Amino acid sequence: MSPEFSDKTKKKLEEIISRYSRKEAAILPVLHLAQKEFGCISVEEEKLVAELLDIKPIQVREVATFYTMLNQVPVGKYYIQVCSNLSCSLLGAESLIDYLTEKIGIKPGETTQDNKFTLSTVECLGACEIAPCMMINFDYHGNLDKKKIDKILDGLK
Amino acid sequence: MINIFIDDKPFKTKEETTVLKAAEEAGIAIPHLCFHSAFPPEGSCRMCLVEIEGLPKLELACSTQVREGMKVSTRSEKVIDARKGVLEFLLAEHPPDCPICDKAGECKLQDYYEEYGLFDNRFRESKEKKQKNIKIGKNLILDQERCILCTRCVRFLRDITKTRELGVFNRGLYSEINTYNDEPVDNNYSGNLAEICPVGAITDSDFRFKTRSWFLKEGESICTLCSRGCNIFIESHKGFARFPVPKRVYRIKSRENHKVNGFWICDLGRYGYPYLDEERLDKICVNNGKGNLTWQECIVSLADEIKKLHSAKKASRIAIILNFWLSNEELFLFKKIFVDDLGVKNIYFVDSPEGENDDFLLTSERCPNKRGAQEIGFDLKPLDSENLMNKTDLLLIFGLPVSDPNNLVEIKALFENVKTKIYFSSHSDELCSLADIVLPTVLIPEKEGSLTNVDGVVQKFLQVLEAPGECRPEWEVFVDLGRELEININYYKQFNTPEVVLKEMRKEISFFENKSE
Amino acid sequence: MKEKILSKHFDLENFYKIDVYLQKKGYEAVKKALNEKTPENILEEVKAANLRGRGGAGFPAGVKWGFVPQQVDKPKYLCVNADEGEPGTFKDRYIMSHDPHLLIEGIIIASYCVGIHTAFIYIRGEYEAVALRLEKAISEAYKNGFLGKNILESGFDLDVYVHRGAGAYICGEETALLESLEGKRGNPRLKPPFPASIGLFQSPTVINNVETLSNIPSIILKGAEWFCKKGLPEDGGTRIFGVSGMVKKPGIYELSIGTSLKDIIFKHAKGMAEGKKLKAVIPGGLSAPILMADEIDIKMDFDSLVDANSMLGSAAIVVIDEDTSILDVLKVVTRFYSHESCGQCAPCRIGSSWINKIVRRLCDGKGKNEDIDNIIRLASNILGNTLCPLGDAAAMPILAIIKKFREEIESYVSN
Repeated sequence: MSPEFSDKTKKKLEEIISRYSRKEAAILPVLHLAQKEFGCISVEEEKLVAELLDIKPIQVREVATFYTMLNQVPVGKYYIQVCSNLSCSLLGAESLIDYLTEKIGIKPGETTQDNKFTLSTVECLGACEIAPCMMINFDYHGNLDKKKIDKILDGLK
Repeated sequence: MINIFIDDKPFKTKEETTVLKAAEEAGIAIPHLCFHSAFPPEGSCRMCLVEIEGLPKLELACSTQVREGMKVSTRSEKVIDARKGVLEFLLAEHPPDCPICDKAGECKLQDYYEEYGLFDNRFRESKEKKQKNIKIGKNLILDQERCILCTRCVRFLRDITKTRELGVFNRGLYSEINTYNDEPVDNNYSGNLAEICPVGAITDSDFRFKTRSWFLKEGESICTLCSRGCNIFIESHKGFARFPVPKRVYRIKSRENHKVNGFWICDLGRYGYPYLDEERLDKICVNNGKGNLTWQECIVSLADEIKKLHSAKKASRIAIILNFWLSNEELFLFKKIFVDDLGVKNIYFVDSPEGENDDFLLTSERCPNKRGAQEIGFDLKPLDSENLMNKTDLLLIFGLPVSDPNNLVEIKALFENVKTKIYFSSHSDELCSLADIVLPTVLIPEKEGSLTNVDGVVQKFLQVLEAPGECRPEWEVFVDLGRELEININYYKQFNTPEVVLKEMRKEISFFENKSE
Repeated sequence: MKEKILSKHFDLENFYKIDVYLQKKGYEAVKKALNEKTPENILEEVKAANLRGRGGAGFPAGVKWGFVPQQVDKPKYLCVNADEGEPGTFKDRYIMSHDPHLLIEGIIIASYCVGIHTAFIYIRGEYEAVALRLEKAISEAYKNGFLGKNILESGFDLDVYVHRGAGAYICGEETALLESLEGKRGNPRLKPPFPASIGLFQSPTVINNVETLSNIPSIILKGAEWFCKKGLPEDGGTRIFGVSGMVKKPGIYELSIGTSLKDIIFKHAKGMAEGKKLKAVIPGGLSAPILMADEIDIKMDFDSLVDANSMLGSAAIVVIDEDTSILDVLKVVTRFYSHESCGQCAPCRIGSSWINKIVRRLCDGKGKNEDIDNIIRLASNILGNTLCPLGDAAAMPILAIIKKFREEIESYVSN
């Protein structure tokens, strides 16, 4: 079953592609939309995006595997990305990562059995003034401590 | 022209030249891995860093343009240190595969380590493990651990063949080159990838484990498998003192020539060399019961027969079948003897079967010297056996290494209806047992001469392989024949080398007047 | 500092909405630029203001704009570098979230000056919410006639688009940004040629940081002289310093260029948190060589920091306390650069990871003192030999940490 963009997305894609003097320049915006719609950039999405931009699927994979935020395999419903760079490290990110591992039962890089959570450590999120900080899907949560983490996670259905 | 200094020595060079090129022209080699003249500079290997007076950092020779008065140092302490540094990084994650790697002996990493490195290994960590034996094409094997990510292969497939079968995936130390979902490199130029890979990451399965590069000697030659006449190197085994080697030719490599093939050769030419060694005919065969004959005896007896027919005004009873693998000199001499001196009219050419062209180098016509035959003035008649059957007393055939089965049928039929058949051939085939006398001839790499390619480029070639057994080049045979026929002895006496023949051709035929390759 | 240039209205509710923005002299700078000034005037003014790039390199903006050829038969582009990947940096996030129209004004004036009709804001992928806010602001600007065709009847056209990255620090490097924007892997290009002549889609391109462009409106409104007075004569204006780490009040602080680092930490950010003692400070983002506790009496401007063998960079100040092992700092540094290396050139690709592997081994207790010398050697071989500045950005901090904290590292290794 090859994936197809929704009509609404197709319209958006048309507008986006028209911004650039070369179709392939739209690849990052297109890949973001594809990942949002289909969950990840697997072989099917590579083919779809390649056709849309008049390039070869290999070019899509070359780009998709370069960038950290583009996933080749699906992630859980809530993708918890904890910053482990300097400011967050100084303020205890490591122990919070251990706490998360303890709480949801997976190590960084893993996904829970029920696909609810994927945990990973990331580099600087650009929110050092609220360190330690994590990003769940695209929402930033800062000034973390164990209590706050409990509150946030318990609120996630 | 501008003036520059390289290692304190003055040189003159054209403007718009890179430091690397200028140094090369001056005879100074600057090490480089990712740079290849066929592509714009990439700048990623960092091996070609040199010191330029007045600039604070080391600069890349491959991409820096020369300027008037520029002072370049290719061997200063800073430069040597940088080279060592870069080499050390490359070798840190490189597998110690040399004992089993085909590239040994012609590997840039080895060469540069020997010349600029010679340091001990200080890498105490675990190297990254990657895939080591990926079949990426009909004759290509990729070893990702050996890959130094110079991206020559990726750029070749992107810019030259435009087929993009290889790509670079992931990032940083995890970067790797691979195909897409096992879709192989599938174009007529795939063999060039193993050649341009500076290390043993992409190797040729045709050459895999067959021999070591240092046992081979290379000879400059010209490919004869189509009408393009791509320049090649034929790599043949030097031989061992105490035991035989199974074959002579192990590999064909491309040779740069911007009038003909640029930097590349096609896979047909690259892998089509086995005919040089397989099924060769290297002895004179006499099938008409006259016992063993020498070349001299055969030429004398052939000349006698021709003289008999000629003086009896029976030149029409002589027929010749030629091919387009004969050199310019051979065709010229042949025409002098048979057309001009003897007035033979039944001269036919047998074509190699046409194939597909590939919109690049490979022509559909597969005749290395058809244009030569045209320019020398032959009427390129295809074989008309009807006209010859039962009317021919003497048939000379100059065989083709690759004979079309259709031609074979026609010729065998013709044989039944011709009195005397003399077959000149480089290979053993069916006709060898049917002709009266079979005379072994050499192939292009085993003689000297010139060929004219499809675009009219005349290219000289020298002998790079030994003639097997009793094989002789056709031009020599024609010169001997010309003398034996006694119609114009002094003319043929002068031709002791093909070079002299070509000189004569330049005087007589305007097409060859200004050609000098 | 009396009057702030950039963060003046950050605390004003809904200031990111154009109707609130217009109440506070919003778009006056654009009106002045398009109606009263010529592109040449503007270029002169920006050059005289000595506005140096706020992304990290500190290249004078006016000089950069001046490199773009006047007449060309190719379209020209402006790329706003909103990738903000330098660890410790978050100032552009504030500008784009709280004052997107200020940035848009800066974009319009810069484009008008250089003759650009298409601008892309390359914003890091993680800043999704910020990107959405920017897009809304841009759409408001279009509706109000500040973007699009014939802006304010001046005959000048400009389109601005937001282009999101996808998680690659290297795409903050200007030529890697261009490659990424063109739809390819974010591999930096060789320079020369420079983007001003061959940039986006082979056309002349200006790349400026968010904060740099956000200073343009006030330069137009108040003049170069005023701007210089805000900072230093050769280094005009203010910087938004981002303070984080072990301080009581982490956050952004817009202060004059040349403000003392000690003041920023102890006066503005209220000093060390949790009663800790200061060990070291990174003054300009992770790539800026570390300063020890006794080196913080220093003016925060480009030249002073260069003299101290460090750099102002992105003005991101990370405060490290004495209870933190320097090995942990080193671990983060080496891991970061090896993760973010694009992989094109061997010294960075292999060198950064080799050093990372050694540091990991040191942290696991399996190190030897000779490893320290090895790291110095390797980092020195990376320095100056890479295709882009990321190699230098990796090597310099590593060398500084080892130089200044060698004893601590050695004693860790011996135990």
